[in-house]
Order: sequence, then C-alpha cells, then structure tokens
Amino acid sequence: MNKMSCKFKSRAENEAFARTIALSFLMPLNAAAEEMMEIRTLVSEGVTNAIIHGYEGNREKMVKLEIGYDDHGLITIIITDKGKGISDIDQALEPLYTSKKSSERSGMGMTIMQTFSDSFDIISAENEGCTIVIQKQLHVNLSAAE
Amino acid sequence: MKIEKNGNQLIFFFEGEMDHHQISLLKDICVEAIEKTHPEKVILDFKHVSFVDSTGIGFVLARYKQLNAYRGELTLRNLSHHQHALFAMSGLFQLVREEGEAYE
Repeated sequence: MNKMSCKFKSRAENEAFARTIALSFLMPLNAAAEEMMEIRTLVSEGVTNAIIHGYEGNREKMVKLEIGYDDHGLITIIITDKGKGISDIDQALEPLYTSKKSSERSGMGMTIMQTFSDSFDIISAENEGCTIVIQKQLHVNLSAAE
Repeated sequence: MKIEKNGNQLIFFFEGEMDHHQISLLKDICVEAIEKTHPEKVILDFKHVSFVDSTGIGFVLARYKQLNAYRGELTLRNLSHHQHALFAMSGLFQLVREEGEAYE
C-alpha cells in the first residue's frame, strides 16, 4: 500500500493545494477523468469542511490530509481537524442542512462526499475535532499493481 | 471573471476553479453587479470553469434568492456533465434554468 500524509494551515487558499497534491499522488493509478474529478471533489469538500466548520475561519490551525491506495485501486482519504467537532452527526448528514445559514453554504458537502465515495465515515464529537474517512474503489485500474 | 451587460441581461463568465476560496473573492462583485442594475435575466457561464463543489451550489442558490426577490430570472450556461450532476443533487434545477451545448 502506498501512502502520503501532509499538514497545512486552515486557510481557504490551501483548498486548491490539497486537491492538487491528491491529484499528483494518485497520478500513477491512471484513473478515469470522471473518477479523478470525483476524488478532487471529495478532497475539496472534506478540507473545506475542516476550514469553515471545524476551525470556523481561524487561519492559524492545522488540517491533516492522508491518502493511501492498495494494489487493487482502493483509495483511502482521511481528513482530520482538531476544531469544534460535530455534535449531531445525523443532522450534519441531512442533505441541505447547514449550520452556517447566513454565509451562502448549501449544506450539500456531506451528501456529495457520500455520493462520490464507496464508504464514508465521520468520527467526531463536540469540541473534539473531526476525522472524515473516505474510501473509493477505482473501476478502471491499469497500473496500480506495479 | 468577466461580466457582460447585454440589454436587460447580465452574463457572468467564470473561469478556473470555483471553490470556497475563489467564490469568496468574487461573491461581493456579483452581488453588487446584480443589485446595481436589477437585470431581468442573469446568466452564469461555466464554460471555462474546471472545478466546482458544494460552495458553488450555495453560491448559485443565493443568487437565485437575490434575483427572485425582484422576479429576476437565473440561468446556468455551459455546465459540464460532472457539474450538472453535482448541481442536480441539490435539486436546484427546479429553480434555475439551464442552457448550453450539452443540455439543450
């Protein structure tokens, strides 16, 4: 299994950075364009959640991104923040639910992550941060075994 | 982003990656441009947008509300397949129109 891990500050400009390193790291898998687009979206939603919800705009905290893949093209993405956490996970998973009504949030981030992944878990409690664990199985997988 | 005024319609041509960061940079400009002229029709053009996520859905829904307040009309133009699928998850096509090469 190949793995990477990195940490970056909770700044909105790092959302693009997170998507880019995910894309670079997974390049050897030769995933289909559609699947790579879904992976970029998964990373973006998870990291944006950490920055906006977890740290509520505090630019000096750290977000951790870990990505791994095995010989069968199963990708694991783990995004961790040590922010305010989620007190009611079921509510957070409801489509269109947002805790930030005033700031033009759609409340679709969790739904999108569930839709684009094969397995999606949230480990969180109030004031104890949030860890999002996503697994995605690639369907066209030409060179992962090498 | 480029903004084009065409009679009673306002067209926003977005480009690049429309994520939370980029939208936070252009949101106020869009809000003001609409507020200043109250165009009958606003078109958001995604032809040169390479990435969009749930922040984009929130942005589109907020512009719909802004326009609907004075009975203006919102249209999304030139969405890719992926962008269409993403926006459709929120049910927003019940509220906003879509036009473009792929979905005419």
